[in-house]
Amino acid sequence: MANETKFSEQESLQLIAEMIKKAKGSYHDTGIGSLLWGAVVSIASLMSYLQREYDFTLAIDIWWLVFAAIVPQVYISIKEKKNMKAKQYDEDVVNAVWLVFGISIFGLNFYQNIVPVQTERLIAEEGWTMMKHFSDGRPDEAIRPFTPSLSSFYILIYAFPTMVTGMVKKFNPMKIGAIITYGLFILSLFTESKYDMLLGSASALICWFIPGVILRKKYLAQTKPNV
Amino acid sequence: MFKELDPILHSQLRLAIMSLLISVKEAEFTFIREKTNATAGNLSVQVQKLKDAGYIEVIKQFKDNYPQTTCKVTPAGLKAFEDYVTALQQYLKV
Repeated sequence: MANETKFSEQESLQLIAEMIKKAKGSYHDTGIGSLLWGAVVSIASLMSYLQREYDFTLAIDIWWLVFAAIVPQVYISIKEKKNMKAKQYDEDVVNAVWLVFGISIFGLNFYQNIVPVQTERLIAEEGWTMMKHFSDGRPDEAIRPFTPSLSSFYILIYAFPTMVTGMVKKFNPMKIGAIITYGLFILSLFTESKYDMLLGSASALICWFIPGVILRKKYLAQTKPNV
Repeated sequence: MFKELDPILHSQLRLAIMSLLISVKEAEFTFIREKTNATAGNLSVQVQKLKDAGYIEVIKQFKDNYPQTTCKVTPAGLKAFEDYVTALQQYLKV
């Protein structure tokens, strides 16, 4: 491109528009992060459902798989950052939303694990127990405190960063995924908690895995060398 | 009365550089070279002119033992670009 060539005002405007288009078209999400989290959360939720439905227990808690996925995610993020030649304005916003989402999920997980134990301890200190009383004359049963239907909250939270990312990046598969997930959240309010796990698995597929496949295809098509 | 077009920006390569940098938060020198198809030497000269005018900030650092030059638009550069586009619109009556 020549630097001091005389050019008209019309050509100036055309050049500005062309360069803005080139800069905007230079960003390609690899889709690996979406594929990773979509697969991991979907598998963990599905296994949780199967364990409840068919009454078996795995040797390890399947949700450790989600925790372990942080390691490849950190590696992917570092690698992608190294290869990135231009930083977009919306990148920090989207990254912040996903960071807050991650913190919220772990917070909810701690809540799910700690609150019932603490409630049980407080109840024991006060010297009373929660009982299930049957109206048909069967003997009463003691109940351990639990957090009812928490899986619905997980589904609701899955939709939040997906919708924000879809809106900021103008990526319809994520927007549609989030809208369907809001629908699954409403459905989960009326279903038994084990089916909420199944809905959670579907949410992860719809929110992240399917958009991840679309992103990956786009990325590979755009980065394919012209031969 | 028409406002005079900023001579720093009314140059094909410098305007291309500014238009690219306006669209992103920051960009590496190699990214700008790739998008403008300019030679490294020519690009360096024009980047320096934009830097001297206070329109862009140039950050030189090492990344994996290789020198890396990153450019970003300054608030003065953003203002100059906006004024330039306004002036262009006046000329073209758009």
